[in-house]
Amino acid sequence: MTAALVGHCHCGAIRVSLEPGRPVAELAYRACQCGFCRRHGAATTSDPASFLHIEAAPGAVNHYRFGRRAADVLLCEECGVYVASMIQAEGGRLATLNVAGVALPGFEGRAPEPATYDDETDEARLARRRARWTPTVLVEAQPSI
Amino acid sequence: MSGEPFTWRAGGCHCGGVRFEVALPEAVEAQTCNCSMCAKTGFIHIIVPQSRFRITKGAERLSEYSFNTRVAKHLFCAECGVKSFYRPRSNPDGWSVNARCLDTTEGLELRIEAFDGQNWEANAAGLAHLSKEPA
Repeated sequence: MTAALVGHCHCGAIRVSLEPGRPVAELAYRACQCGFCRRHGAATTSDPASFLHIEAAPGAVNHYRFGRRAADVLLCEECGVYVASMIQAEGGRLATLNVAGVALPGFEGRAPEPATYDDETDEARLARRRARWTPTVLVEAQPSI
Repeated sequence: MSGEPFTWRAGGCHCGGVRFEVALPEAVEAQTCNCSMCAKTGFIHIIVPQSRFRITKGAERLSEYSFNTRVAKHLFCAECGVKSFYRPRSNPDGWSVNARCLDTTEGLELRIEAFDGQNWEANAAGLAHLSKEPA
């Protein structure tokens, strides 16, 4: 079993732990080219076979929504760092994680693959997220990891 | 440097709440940085003197974050989290603008170099001239 990868935003108020469902070198690594991701310098990973645990201090998460407002964007209220985008699906929450924002180890030396989703329909976008994003639990409590 | 023509270029955060303008020549020195803060925000620095930067909208929407020596004033939009510009520790008399937040880089030659912010003390002096006002 591959050990969990841990990281946090700059101030540490939001902490993440990714349990990889496959070798870390095989995890996707993408640079979405949308106006939000470009401005945040985001480089993300997601994987349906992995599990993501996000823990935030009470009040530490700024929940930002934009565009079609379908995803809950998690920003740190204190340091501004973009941590993850999350949706609520039938089986629970799914997310894509900003590897750069939490300095997640295991991606050093890799260049994120540019990705553009501008032309997607709402249905196609939801289907892509369901197929690719990571099962996720968000706990807003005092950090323990 | 004096007499070099500058063009005022606009930019801002994602939600549109914070807007700025910066006067830049056609060819601009810019820096990526590997320090803990810049790596997490993907900041690409364009450092300018005070007189070549102005906030045009949303100063009241800026959140300030500081750490370590607390000299740098990291500013980000309270709504969308984007860090469009800030007061850098290397150049507290000027501003560092995020090249990622310019509306367009058309007609702008960005000469991006990697700054080793993990060894900040050894390297920061090399940036000091970028925020000096012309004599």
